[in-house]
Amino acid sequence: MTIKNEKDFWSGVMFIVFGLFFALFAQNYVFGTPQRMGPAYFPTLLGGLLVLIGAVIAASGLARNATPTKIDKFHFGPLLWVLGSVVVYGALLKPAGVLLAMFVLVGISSMGSHEFRWKEVIGLSFVMALLTWVVFIWGLKLTIPVWPAFMG
Amino acid sequence: MDLVHNLALGFSTALSLQNLLYALAGTLIGTLIGVLPGIGPIATIAMLLPTTYSLAPTSALIMLAGIYYGAQYGGSTTSILVNIPGESSSVVTCIDGYQMARQGKAGAALGIAAIGSFIAGCFSTVLVAAFAPPLTELAFKFGPAEYFSLMVLGLIGAVVLASGSLLKAIGMIVLGLLLGLVGTDVNSGVMRYAFDVPELADGLGFVGVAMGVFGFAEIIANLEQKEKREVFTSKVGSLLPTMKEFIYSAPAIARGTVLGSLLGILPGGGALLASFASYSFEKKITRNPDPPFGQGNIRGVAAPESANNAGAQTSFIPMLTLGIPPNAVMALMVGAMTIHNIQPGPQVMTSNPSLFWGLIASMWIGNLMLVILNLPLIGVWIQLLKVPYRLLYPAILVFCCIGVYAVNNTTFDVMLTAAFGAIGYLFHKLHCEPAPLILGFILGPMMEENLRRAMLLSRGDPTTFFTRPLSLTLLIMAAALLVIVTLPAIKKGREEAFLEAD
Repeated sequence: MTIKNEKDFWSGVMFIVFGLFFALFAQNYVFGTPQRMGPAYFPTLLGGLLVLIGAVIAASGLARNATPTKIDKFHFGPLLWVLGSVVVYGALLKPAGVLLAMFVLVGISSMGSHEFRWKEVIGLSFVMALLTWVVFIWGLKLTIPVWPAFMG
Repeated sequence: MDLVHNLALGFSTALSLQNLLYALAGTLIGTLIGVLPGIGPIATIAMLLPTTYSLAPTSALIMLAGIYYGAQYGGSTTSILVNIPGESSSVVTCIDGYQMARQGKAGAALGIAAIGSFIAGCFSTVLVAAFAPPLTELAFKFGPAEYFSLMVLGLIGAVVLASGSLLKAIGMIVLGLLLGLVGTDVNSGVMRYAFDVPELADGLGFVGVAMGVFGFAEIIANLEQKEKREVFTSKVGSLLPTMKEFIYSAPAIARGTVLGSLLGILPGGGALLASFASYSFEKKITRNPDPPFGQGNIRGVAAPESANNAGAQTSFIPMLTLGIPPNAVMALMVGAMTIHNIQPGPQVMTSNPSLFWGLIASMWIGNLMLVILNLPLIGVWIQLLKVPYRLLYPAILVFCCIGVYAVNNTTFDVMLTAAFGAIGYLFHKLHCEPAPLILGFILGPMMEENLRRAMLLSRGDPTTFFTRPLSLTLLIMAAALLVIVTLPAIKKGREEAFLEAD
């Protein structure tokens, strides 16, 4: 069995997995009757539908006359730097305040680009810090912890 | 006459200093992100939604709307000057617009895009004002069964008119519907799929999902490629088309406006579809184009640019009158209204007339602002285009992260957005379109509720959707759309339209 259309096949698999997830976990809730639908009714219905759709898509990827496609390489570099920076930002926000957390966000996420230059990153961080302060804190009065927690 | 009275109310609301400022802010921001490739109106609206909390609902909607149609203006700038679409609906403008730039006629292209967009904007605003009341009347006749069928039609429409594989788009919709069900079930009080995480009691925040799947995933995808931008700044030339060029483009503008206005109302419609359709139509209808389409014919810029602006504005109609968003951007607007405690639907017009008519009036004002401001500001946009992406995307990340946190003041939302960024990247690799997912996400809970009510009213009889005439009509339309799109002739035409985009 050769996977001709990789994108379709794996999309189908993804849908099947999601569909199963939703349908199976829905069994924890009451199903109900068509007239009085319980919390599990619609999700089970949709989950089942998704599994079906996924199966059809996956099968079409295996068909002999499918258009051959390959999935492009997964570039884990940018993925990890960008999302990692967001996660670190989230973790630092309350203890360190938005200004510091943002420096870290800009710094780490910039590592995701292959044109990284230190001076630019630091400069950008300062500009963003200023912008953030002016627009979001002073201008829009958002309630975000600005300074680190220990500074109160 | 009622229309005049309503418009008067609308203008008096829209012309308040505060609302004028917000219209200006929205259109400027919209143009800005339209110009910048790599960030589009969906991500921006999602990003700025939380920051509109402290604003009055009318002002918030005026600003967000300004972003949407402002982006249509800005997108044409990058398309013409750099051959990179700044916004998805500007893809077609690249084709002839860039060729015009290479021939030293960038100014004329930019000018006609702005003028065409303004004319289209005026026309479509009048349409919105004229059609809203009768449609709202019709909406009052809708019961839960009709709403459910309408949503089915809307989702099918969105799929049919989207690019790429039909089945995958349907899959994305169903997945979106399921994701929308996470959280507390209103009817039974049961927490679904929350796994004891208290932050999920209200469901997955759609701002986080939208930003993750559209914003973050796009950034990651962009970082994979080396950037190559060739910006034609030297020979922009005069910023206005000559009289001859204008007269030649006029029919294209007219056709684009009408086509765009019609397509914007359709479920799944909006700026994107409008621009593609009008380009193809213009190409077919012009005999002996000189220069040929694809080599700098000004109609190839005038038509899609008028169409995308008209489509952007008329896509507000189903949202404002029926409360059903026809596309992902309108889905976010529905979210915005909900955040401000306004229930979108036919009653908005009667319970909140100043909001309703003020929004419509401000669309016209926004268009005026755009055409007046954009022409002189082209120089600024050109400078911005030169900012390298490596400086841009961290800035975008910062705005996104701040916005996401501001929704609920929990860092959980930030983490969630990151998770959806990863999922969005997966979608990108698998060539699954995220827009249908967002639509399904917003409509999921609504569909379930209407399904439940319809079944309750019919005492468990599923044929109620087919026995009620209005509902049956809607379902037949949905089925017809599905059939039409699988017909070989249309299939080929659809693929052609999206091939030109690639």
